[in-house]
Amino acid sequence: MASHSESIIREPLITGKDITYARITNEVLLPVENKPNKAWWIGFTVAALGAMLWVVSISYTFWTGLGTWGLNKTVGWAWDITGFVWWVGIGHAGTLISAVLLIFRQNWRNSINRSAEAMTIFAVICAATYIVAHMGRPWLAYFTLPLPNQYGSLWVNWNSALMMDVFAISTYFSVSLVFWYTGLLPDIASIRDRASGLRRRIYSVLSFGWTGSVKTWQRFETVSLILAGISTPLVLSVHTIVSFDFATSLEPGWHTTIFPPYFVAGAIFSGFAMVQTLLLVTRKVLGLENYITMFHIESMNKIIMLTGSIVGVAYITEFFIAWYSQVEYEQYAFINRATGPYWWAYWSMMSCNVISPQLFWSKKLRTSIKFSWVLSIVVNIGMWFERFVIIVTSLHRDYIPSSWAMFYPTWVDVGVFVGSIGVFFTLFLLFIRVLPSVAMAEVKLLVKTSSEQAKKKLIDEGHLDPAHVQYYKESLIKYDSVDMSDYEKV
Amino acid sequence: MDSNKKYWKGLEELNKTPEFVEKNKHEFAEPIPIEEVLSGGGLSAKTPRRDFLKALGFGVGAVTLAACQKVPVHKSIPYLIKPEEITPGVANYYSSTYEGSAILVKTREGRPIKVEGNPNDLLSRGGLSASAQASVLDLYDNGRTKDPVLNGSDAGWAEVDSFVKGQLASVAAAGKKIRIISSTVHSPSTQAVIADFITKYPTAKHTNYDAVSYTGIIKANQNSFGKAVLPHYNFDKADVIVSFGADFLGTWISGEEFTRQYVSNRNSASLEAKKMSRHIQFETGMSLTGTNADARIAIKPSDEGLAIINLYNAISGTTLPGSKKLSNANADKAVMLAAKELVAAKGRALVVAGSNDVATQVLVNAINSLLGSYGTTIDLDNPSRQYAGNDAELVEFIAEAKRGEVGAVLFLDANPAYDFYKAAEFKEAVKKVALRVSFSDHADETADLCNVVAPNHHYLESWGDDSAVEGYYTILQPTINPVYNTRQAEQSLLIWSDNAVKDYYTYVRNNWNTNLLAKGGLAGQPGWETLLQAGFIKAAPVAAGTYTFSLDLAGVTQTIITHSNQLAEGGKVQLQVYQSVAMRDGKKANNPWLQELPDPVSKVTWDNFAAMSPSDVKKMGLDEFGVVKITANGYTVELPVLSQPGQAQGTVSVAVGYGRTMAGLVGNNVGKNAYPFYSFRNGTFQTTAAASVEKTGDIFPLSQTQTHHSYEGRSVIQEVTLKEYLKDPEKAAGHEGEHEKYDLWEATNNDAVHARPVYDWVMAIDLNACTGCGACVVACNAENNIPVVGKEEVGRRREMHWIRIDRYYSFAQNGKAEADEKTGMVTKEKEIAELENFDNVTVVHQPMLCQHCDHAPCETVCPVLATVHSSEGLNQMAYNRCVGTRYCANNCPYKVRRFNWFNYWNDSRFDNYLNNEHTQLVLNPDVTTRFRGVMEKCSMCVQRIQAGKLKAKIEKRPLADGEVKMACQQTCSANAIIFGNRNDPNSEVSKALKSERTYYVLEELNVQPGIGYQTKVRNTNETELQA
Repeated sequence: MASHSESIIREPLITGKDITYARITNEVLLPVENKPNKAWWIGFTVAALGAMLWVVSISYTFWTGLGTWGLNKTVGWAWDITGFVWWVGIGHAGTLISAVLLIFRQNWRNSINRSAEAMTIFAVICAATYIVAHMGRPWLAYFTLPLPNQYGSLWVNWNSALMMDVFAISTYFSVSLVFWYTGLLPDIASIRDRASGLRRRIYSVLSFGWTGSVKTWQRFETVSLILAGISTPLVLSVHTIVSFDFATSLEPGWHTTIFPPYFVAGAIFSGFAMVQTLLLVTRKVLGLENYITMFHIESMNKIIMLTGSIVGVAYITEFFIAWYSQVEYEQYAFINRATGPYWWAYWSMMSCNVISPQLFWSKKLRTSIKFSWVLSIVVNIGMWFERFVIIVTSLHRDYIPSSWAMFYPTWVDVGVFVGSIGVFFTLFLLFIRVLPSVAMAEVKLLVKTSSEQAKKKLIDEGHLDPAHVQYYKESLIKYDSVDMSDYEKV
Repeated sequence: MDSNKKYWKGLEELNKTPEFVEKNKHEFAEPIPIEEVLSGGGLSAKTPRRDFLKALGFGVGAVTLAACQKVPVHKSIPYLIKPEEITPGVANYYSSTYEGSAILVKTREGRPIKVEGNPNDLLSRGGLSASAQASVLDLYDNGRTKDPVLNGSDAGWAEVDSFVKGQLASVAAAGKKIRIISSTVHSPSTQAVIADFITKYPTAKHTNYDAVSYTGIIKANQNSFGKAVLPHYNFDKADVIVSFGADFLGTWISGEEFTRQYVSNRNSASLEAKKMSRHIQFETGMSLTGTNADARIAIKPSDEGLAIINLYNAISGTTLPGSKKLSNANADKAVMLAAKELVAAKGRALVVAGSNDVATQVLVNAINSLLGSYGTTIDLDNPSRQYAGNDAELVEFIAEAKRGEVGAVLFLDANPAYDFYKAAEFKEAVKKVALRVSFSDHADETADLCNVVAPNHHYLESWGDDSAVEGYYTILQPTINPVYNTRQAEQSLLIWSDNAVKDYYTYVRNNWNTNLLAKGGLAGQPGWETLLQAGFIKAAPVAAGTYTFSLDLAGVTQTIITHSNQLAEGGKVQLQVYQSVAMRDGKKANNPWLQELPDPVSKVTWDNFAAMSPSDVKKMGLDEFGVVKITANGYTVELPVLSQPGQAQGTVSVAVGYGRTMAGLVGNNVGKNAYPFYSFRNGTFQTTAAASVEKTGDIFPLSQTQTHHSYEGRSVIQEVTLKEYLKDPEKAAGHEGEHEKYDLWEATNNDAVHARPVYDWVMAIDLNACTGCGACVVACNAENNIPVVGKEEVGRRREMHWIRIDRYYSFAQNGKAEADEKTGMVTKEKEIAELENFDNVTVVHQPMLCQHCDHAPCETVCPVLATVHSSEGLNQMAYNRCVGTRYCANNCPYKVRRFNWFNYWNDSRFDNYLNNEHTQLVLNPDVTTRFRGVMEKCSMCVQRIQAGKLKAKIEKRPLADGEVKMACQQTCSANAIIFGNRNDPNSEVSKALKSERTYYVLEELNVQPGIGYQTKVRNTNETELQA
């Protein structure tokens, strides 16, 4: 296997000494196979309270009607669709990481794809709840499905972007779920093999009879690749179609051809930010510093910086086009965004999304864990504001000035949104208790090639160009999980 | 090839162990424990029968209990013997009268559901005001007095009658006075009943008084020409109209009639003849009439009399003693200009004043006499009977009561405990009267003081007649059996006065047979039947005579100047009390449709407020809706301030009609009472006063249906001056420089799919005819079962009105701000903010409803196809299909779609309004009520279109143009709305849309709206001073 050694100048994807397959399994399955610790309980209690708030808010809405929200005749969508797009956006990183990076053979994805995909699924669930909840008559949500019926030619409207949305979201959800679950199979089998009693039975059902034979592994790889191929266009299509909800309308500020790429970039931007938010905490609490390393953190920060810049360019382009088109309504919509009654939302968005990610040009900042975590939160706040700005500030002042109005949220609006975050974290915290939060099987693939210890061995063997070795050593400085004293004598 | 391989399932089988062989004998390897389960008997059984029965019993019991909820039974009972005239599903129309206007009442299965104007009505030709449209709802008001009340408890009519008769007899015997206090009675039969009553009780006297009084005009005419009448004005004959605070298009005397007359000189037909009247309005607060004026000059109440004096001076060429300049130099110049224009239009000019001051009205008479208005624009010989109140008589009554001279008082349609300016004094005085009878159908403020309440019928339950104008008699006939145990007031009077005729219906018939039928050339039973069908008779009018004013004006001038000086008292703000178009005098405060009708100018619902000039509001440092304390005439009230452009600086206006305490669930404590600000001077009630206004620091939010008031220079509104229009009509509608439109759907446009084979329903709305009164809004409410949502929900911008009147202000440029290129006015929010002077405001009203776009943006975005296009060009809603995503409303550029945020028809929070068994009887059965979560909007009264088509089909003829009318169109006195078939080139609407003034709102979006608007034209004068 020595011939498969990775070039020394590549940074290690796994750090730590004496990493063995068994140790990986032990470390990753620590939270799954043991009683939860205090931190988990605190987190879970808070999240579950949030989820309960969601249940209360949604039940109250369903019982009394949408009037409990702050919407009005002019602003027909506000926190609901803002929340929907926000969650769908967050859900983008998972598939991007698991599918696109798989196709591009970016092995560093192996450590983070599991949690990212789980996050995707939970985020899409949260988004889907908004689709149903924002309806005036949610009990008739099935009307949006093209179900054969006996009402003559009664059918759905394929021209409507909302209709496409139903399909985009459900396709995305099912493909992501299948992809995620397929990836889980070898890991579930590992748990099964280590468990006993009822747990063993449950995991053995969940593992779909995984045997670990070469044939199984080969099929597993093939299916992963096929699913990655299916998912890759979805990464682009889902948010493209979500953007159609706006782009295909007449509303000034919505009717924009730039929306699809701009929304996709924004989605990846917010998705990676959410992955950061979750993983920076998870790696600390679950002690996964060796598997989710500074390399991962820095890579994701770079993506955040790139997509943040794309989004910034999009914002500026919108202004340019508004001026260039000379359409008075369009111009007013954009001037109103920046200087109208909701100026504070616009400038919150601009500073959170465009200005703050630029700070990642500094290596010091993008390798600072605390800073990365804070910024990931800032980005998610900014992306929430982006959707709020697009939806509410466009609607509240459109064509006919007599109908211009303001939107003020009620406690129910806030409850549904905060509650949806509670639901998300409840699901995520349950996930890390019952399933491995790092794809063990895939991480194990890296131990022999891309790990710090493998590279250390190469260095110790001493056949390498010292300049390369020096370069490698310097690249290790940023790692919080590498003990540099090991390299002093080398 | 058969295989003789043997497969074995286990080592046991292979080895053929004895156990295996034994087990293999049976069908089941292990024994089935049937015996065990069934073993034992009775209670010692393994599975006792009792347990089984318990489980069964509990199961059945639980399911039964769960199913026990009583299913409400709504019995649908067929007519056992069907009344001949009622066919379920087919409406019957009965002619009747509302406040002197001939109307048609639409009834369905025996219940009146809509009031419509009688197209032949003399006054408004089928137009009806918002209050007339809303009156049908009062019939089903759950808060009406349901039984007669005697000394505070429900009683029978017989008891009440014997009590009242006994009391009246003893009062008469004691020689004490009996007083009937009523709002102006203009029904000939009611007048006759009262006359009979007075004959029986000679100490009785009838006093007419109106909460909002016209005594000033009546007395002035008595004084000037010896005729104590309210003249009949002819605005249609006036080319130049100058009004001093008279809201003649809204609340002044006969708003609907005057609207019809006024618009006839300003509508399409008139403009095509290159003619348009000129209207100059001098006023304090912004009235509906002021918003329509060509020139409007904001003046303080103290300047009003002075301005009239100056106008007289300018017209007559003399100078009245004591004349002086106004406090506003621009207004002075405007008066001179108005004088010049009036003189130039002699014989076609009209000056009116809203003041109730006799002296002011005398001076106006003098001016009109100089202008030759009598016999042309003013008719004293066929006078109006709408208001005949005598303020002094009411004041005198209170004095009499105080002195203990009055033994009995009867209140008919009168509520002085609320609307008399010294209500406390009135209440004190009336306590001294032994017999106090109220005919009110509500336990109102005055009924509360009475020992007898003999609730009157609603007018839709009554027989009767009316005469609003000399020579014009209308009939009132019931359209439903009395809903509650009420009795017509006239009948009560007949019984109490022991009249030979006890039945009011017979009395009315007798009265018509002997006195009235002949005037219309009718006689006997056939004559009566003709009358019931036609609804009115019209006697040949007397020729209007000319009158010349010849009295000395010195005294009059002195009175006016003294009053002006009082008002202009230093350091004080001048207070003006006015009637709002929706609430008027407050008698209908319990009508939710009217409470929710936005005020045409301020767009405020469910409240009155203190209107102040934006400059004054700024000066006082008040926030939006900041509460001020207004004190005048010893009365103090706290009201939120409304920044009202066009309000004269240094003045405040407050509407009467609010602050009812015993109006009913809806009207109680809505706003504050402004009647106590009245004063009594020179025999009439005065509506102006010097007041002090203090800031309190509180905020009381008002619910407005429109909160942005400028149109931002957008092409949504097109306006032009008459001069420009006459020069180049094409250019006037903004048609120059238009771009070619491109259409993605060109190819499919001509497809059979999108064809409109027979009908293409469209509408034309003339912005120059629309006065913005809002009657259409209430008509639409009634026709289409539109829910009332209440103040809070309107404040959340959730009113449900399918048609709204958008009202935009624009301001004269004052150097600082950038003006709109075309109109020369400042229309943009940010530029308006830079202005310092908000007096010179112009207003435009734009009715806005679903535009029924041929390329409707709402239709393409609905995921479930709940809103689709009909083959007749209508954009339709399938409520049952709607899931309520609200995408259609977001994508509607006109923002005319309305969402049912709550279940308004079945939600306890909306109980005050329509949500009870009685009130729901007003619903139009042809229109479904909408469930929560469903989108709705203007349907172009599709039920009326269907009914019209069906009728034509049954009669085997094509549908005629104008046969189907929209509810909004039908009630419009100004005829601003025309509806019809665009496929028919000869239809009214096709002709109207051909006008060069026609433009489509947001035409450039190419949504192809079905409603064409016609440019607003202003007859402004070049030399006009920018005040």
